Amino acid sequence: MKDKFFGVLQRVGRSFMLPIAILPVAGLLLGLGSSFTNETTLSTYGLLDLMGPGTVPYFIFSVLSRCGGVIFDNLPLLFAIGVAIGMARQEKEVAALAAAVSFLVMHSGISAMIGLTGGTEALLEGSTASVLGITSLQMGAFGGIIVGLGVAALHNRFYKIQLPQALSFFGGTRFVPIISTLVFAVVGIAMFFIWQPIQTGINALGGLVYSSGYLGTFLFGMIKRLLIPFGLHHVFYLPFWQTAVGGTMEVAGTMVSGAQNIFFAQLADPTVTHFSTAGTWCFTGEFVLYIFGFPGAALAMYHCASPARKKRVGGLLLSAALTSILTGITEPLEFSFLFVAPLLFAISAVFAGLAYMLCHILNITVGLTFSGGFIDLALFGILQGNEKTGWLLLLPLGAAFFAAYYFVFRFLILKFDFKTPGREEGDQETKLYTKADYNARKAESEASAGRSAAIARGLGGAANIKDVDCCATRLRITVQDSAAVDQAVLKSTGAAGVIQKGAGVQVVYGPQVNIIKAELEEYLRSGAAAAAPAPAQAEETAEATKPEHGKLLRTLVIGSPMHGEAAPVTASPDAAFAEKMMGDGATIVPCEGLVTAPCDATISFVFDTNHAIGLELEEGIEVLIHVGINTVELKGQGFKALVQEGDQVKKGDPLLEFDLDYIRENASSTSSPVLFTTMEDNQQLRLLKAGHVKPGEDLLALDIYEA
Amino acid sequence: MKSFVYVIKDPLGIHARPAGMLAKAAKPYADTPITVTKGDKTVKASQLMKLMSLGVKTGDEVTVAAEGPAEDEAIAAMEAFFKENL
Repeated sequence: MKDKFFGVLQRVGRSFMLPIAILPVAGLLLGLGSSFTNETTLSTYGLLDLMGPGTVPYFIFSVLSRCGGVIFDNLPLLFAIGVAIGMARQEKEVAALAAAVSFLVMHSGISAMIGLTGGTEALLEGSTASVLGITSLQMGAFGGIIVGLGVAALHNRFYKIQLPQALSFFGGTRFVPIISTLVFAVVGIAMFFIWQPIQTGINALGGLVYSSGYLGTFLFGMIKRLLIPFGLHHVFYLPFWQTAVGGTMEVAGTMVSGAQNIFFAQLADPTVTHFSTAGTWCFTGEFVLYIFGFPGAALAMYHCASPARKKRVGGLLLSAALTSILTGITEPLEFSFLFVAPLLFAISAVFAGLAYMLCHILNITVGLTFSGGFIDLALFGILQGNEKTGWLLLLPLGAAFFAAYYFVFRFLILKFDFKTPGREEGDQETKLYTKADYNARKAESEASAGRSAAIARGLGGAANIKDVDCCATRLRITVQDSAAVDQAVLKSTGAAGVIQKGAGVQVVYGPQVNIIKAELEEYLRSGAAAAAPAPAQAEETAEATKPEHGKLLRTLVIGSPMHGEAAPVTASPDAAFAEKMMGDGATIVPCEGLVTAPCDATISFVFDTNHAIGLELEEGIEVLIHVGINTVELKGQGFKALVQEGDQVKKGDPLLEFDLDYIRENASSTSSPVLFTTMEDNQQLRLLKAGHVKPGEDLLALDIYEA
Repeated sequence: MKSFVYVIKDPLGIHARPAGMLAKAAKPYADTPITVTKGDKTVKASQLMKLMSLGVKTGDEVTVAAEGPAEDEAIAAMEAFFKENL
């Protein structure tokens, strides 16, 4: 139960990453645009004639500012769509459309209720907003997240629904936007009643955190840091950034909720002379930590490393520190000590709370879009000028934190003999890092198939991987069987750490995780993964799949003959099929009782119990479709052949009907192998799609090489 | 050429699994073609689909033949296979 909860939270956390990834660019546009259209700044630097109102630069920067601003203004919509995409298991594009529709529907529902009950005047001041031109309740990012989560739940429940024949056009994925519309019309009405008391409550809570003042800031910083190992920090900080929990303030005549929104509203408001801490209290401390504090910790670890390993460990720590300083991505560094010395991490969390609190007290007001690295500091601190942000104070404060991290870490590491990088006993750990470095370098220069194969192997084989996603630094995977995960193998692929809670696995790689994820997905889609499913056999098979081939002559592609869930044939419950005794291909668990022709072909035979059909694609290339396992024992009952031996069929022609329920009850499995039975040494098979397949969708590709 | 006649005892005849096993058993004798004949239809034992298309059922009489350099060994292996599996 706890593991399942963690799995869900992990998915929610990572689904935020897609919309959050837009923010640095939006922030760049808004930051540059507003900096160079702020008349106070311009007159301070004597640039009014050159760049003031009416000039071409002013025109350009105004456009930039507006284009960046619109993204922040419509973040709730982006969250609705982004969360739906992140949480949907399959057919994500449909979930995205349904989320956009539902978002409009929900707010229109609320809008109608407001109109019917006396208009906006009857409501609390600041509780309404214009959402995409719809007068609705101010729900902020919460509104979007509710829509995203709700739509994803509906989507995962209904995207394969089968409706009665007359309504079948509206079945499957088409049903998702329809049911979402109906549900969110009701949700809109309900929200009108539910949201108002919540608004009062959230405002009070925001007031409480905000009014606990500096202590609240301390707690925020500490809790956020402590949540990072669990990957739950996104869930925690977002309300503070985006909703009234993080404070509410009137900027340029409109009420703005959420610290990040306040900061950017102020950024866009040319009349502001010094940013308010209301917009930055949960941000500015990050600069102190990421640019100054953590590098201090890295230096301490470097100095504590054993002399023989300093050089090796130096590279690791230096790159981790630079990543933290420049981009504000800290996991590579934090994970280098988190697991071996939790005490250091706890102390780091206290330091973090102090950093946030001191920035708040000292009225240093640098906001951020993504994380507290130098890029954000330049845009929102240095460029905005010391008058508005007080960023120069970060330098002495940062120096103090650098020293504090360095000396405290160094003292504790030596005192308790923590096994931070370069201090491990024996050679084992160092080997691990060397191998990781080696792998990382190798992966860059060569094809990365080796790394993806190793990751898949560490996760218990391709068949064990349910879905793959990533956030800024970690690969997030849900597996079928958590016992099959081998953390040592995962670490050898260059990971800084591995976190496993039940079926949820997080592998921390650092910022290049995006590429690793893309490669892994590519690998899983390709036949290579299908050929190397069992961890134990992986190495052996990898060699077997690399025979010396001549030139690729041509490729034959066949579609899926059934509607259902496809997997490599090695996943067949029948050992004879799984061992490819009858040929290589896929196995499909059907959700409809119909076999259609996967390509143009001649029927070479229909087995007399009608449970298997042979197709001849061309001279010497044949495909066997075998419905279910041990179905020969049904003696033809539940099957009806629609073709006979010698018939010519076109792709999509119906070949065989079967009674799915009957077979489910009377055969050992409905899993149906689709095989090329005539594989020669110069032929290689690739599985093109695993998971949900529709009839006719490309399933298998046969590559034919020069013999 | 060597051959033998065999009456199928497996109640399900030559369906996918035994056909696959038979084709595999015939594979090592690449230069000694092995054939299976039922009635007037003759197929190569190494070809899974052709074997299935014979539609051999229990009680059917089939003729298995091998011709080539390793025919003695091949036919002995086939006889053993049929007795054990079919």
